[in-house]
Amino acid sequence: MSTLNVSNITDGTTTVGTSYVVNGSAKAWVNSTQVGTHTARDSLNVSSLTDLGTGRTEITFSSAMNNDDWAGSFYTTASSLETSINFANDYAGGFGDKTTTTVRTYSYTASAAVDSAIHDVIIFGDLA
Amino acid sequence: MTKHLWERLLEAKSRLDPVQSKYRVVFEDPATPDEPAKVLVPDPNWMAAALAGDILPPIDTYQRDRDVPDGQPKEHPYAEPIGPMTEEEAIEYLIMKDICPSVWRDYKGNRTIMRIVPVELIPTDRSFRNAWRLAA
Repeated sequence: MSTLNVSNITDGTTTVGTSYVVNGSAKAWVNSTQVGTHTARDSLNVSSLTDLGTGRTEITFSSAMNNDDWAGSFYTTASSLETSINFANDYAGGFGDKTTTTVRTYSYTASAAVDSAIHDVIIFGDLA
Repeated sequence: MTKHLWERLLEAKSRLDPVQSKYRVVFEDPATPDEPAKVLVPDPNWMAAALAGDILPPIDTYQRDRDVPDGQPKEHPYAEPIGPMTEEEAIEYLIMKDICPSVWRDYKGNRTIMRIVPVELIPTDRSFRNAWRLAA
């Protein structure tokens, strides 16, 4: 495998530092389901999912983040179906505890936690 | 110079087929006795990397990094990778990496609070599983 060692990338008009690309890449992501037994469909930099109870998951990273100030995004269908049927604000989810090595997610319907068929998480930030 | 672990994982993902483990780890956390038993599920891409070897760092680097404050350099990203593991060895590695030591190392009680089980033994009925406790 060869390595391209460059400081900048250009399309002939605009030039950006390579660090923009590296720092702008997602450092971890996972597409998974909470239905039945938790299963990751695909991922990067994730070592395990832990089923904590209905609608609750802990994701553990393989390579730790530098601090717990990383930013992330979480998508849930808030339904056991894979289709996106719930769009109201009552149907939501969010992050719980964030650390350098883990993040907890919670999927909700309007009234209770629910296992979601689509449970996607993307993490941006600096690696340790 | 050893590449960063994240780069090794990225490269591994491009060449290794994911491996869905046939095992799960069921455990109770002594710190939260009122919560249901938890189920740890190995990530398929991580398992592929563990089986292939020369990607993951030694487990003791993760354990030492638990004591390193946030923002300080960690040992595991640039540690020399270890060789291939069997699936059973990979599960033991994952327990030590992803489950709190209060479960697998420090617990002194006389109940079993952690067990490695085949995936088919995990009930899919959530209403039952939310009240689950490990039998002795």
